Amino acid sequence: MEELKNIAPNLSKMKKENPFGAPKHYFDDFSARMQMQIEAEKHVATNKEFKLITLLKPALGLAASFAIIFMLVYIPLKTFIPQEQVIETTVSTNFSDKQMHSILEELDETSFFTLLENDDNNETFSDEDLLAYVSSNFNAYEIFEYTEE
Amino acid sequence: MQNTDKNIIADLKDVNKRDLAFHQLVGTYQERLYWHIRKIVMNHDDTDDVLQNTFLKVWRSIDNFREESSLFTWLYRIATNESITFINSKKKKGLMPMNDASEFLMDNLTSDPYFEGDEIQLKLQKAILRLPEKQRIVFNMKYFDDLKYDEMSEILDTSVGALKASYHHAAKKIEEYLKSTD
Repeated sequence: MEELKNIAPNLSKMKKENPFGAPKHYFDDFSARMQMQIEAEKHVATNKEFKLITLLKPALGLAASFAIIFMLVYIPLKTFIPQEQVIETTVSTNFSDKQMHSILEELDETSFFTLLENDDNNETFSDEDLLAYVSSNFNAYEIFEYTEE
Repeated sequence: MQNTDKNIIADLKDVNKRDLAFHQLVGTYQERLYWHIRKIVMNHDDTDDVLQNTFLKVWRSIDNFREESSLFTWLYRIATNESITFINSKKKKGLMPMNDASEFLMDNLTSDPYFEGDEIQLKLQKAILRLPEKQRIVFNMKYFDDLKYDEMSEILDTSVGALKASYHHAAKKIEEYLKSTD
């Protein structure tokens, strides 16, 4: 207060009064009005929760359907297909792959081409055999078409 | 912290007792907060809106109150922030410069049917409205509400030194205005 007298003598002489007023019974009613607001707030909060569930319902339904379909397909397959068969197939496939790899690794380029050029099938055909093959497998129009080309 | 405040806080955190405790809290603090807000936003209708928002915010965030400060300080802080938010929203709507709400508040003051002060009181309020926002709040809290600087420091999250300086500047500016309009 002393400080105020020094820096603001006119202000310090003024009466410290609250110049504002409020409507009659404002404070008597305020608490009840506030309670109503809170009830509305609670209602909004409950509705929000409800809306969230409503929004999530289709997605949850879809997820549940997928889960059921998966279980209906996967579990019987897992139960009824003999496990040994699966293992055997896998093993045999693995074995043939390994075999193929080892053969290819052992081959060098020259031996690979020699193998290709080497014709094991020494069968020869006579003209008659060829004629018989052509006449039995192609009609006159096809023969004409191929010879035109 | 007072015993009643401790009881109110404990009951507010208990879901079964919350409604009754909140009713008690509103009854205890509504007037003090009303007058605090009223000095910031100036007219009754706006004060009523801000006070309701303040208590709604208290209701929503009661679980977050960590009791590091007193209930009174916490409530005052929410009320102050709500008042400032309200004025800022009015500034945006009225396309006012961000640091000047004095014209809008002056209108609020002069058009308020519940202003009961005399000419001198009106002059003082006009002088207060010419202050920057922070100085205005500090001056009101110290001059009218007689709050201690420590309490104000907690409410406004400002150092005691800065608050003292603000009050000093505010009082000087008001004194100059009062002298110039004599």
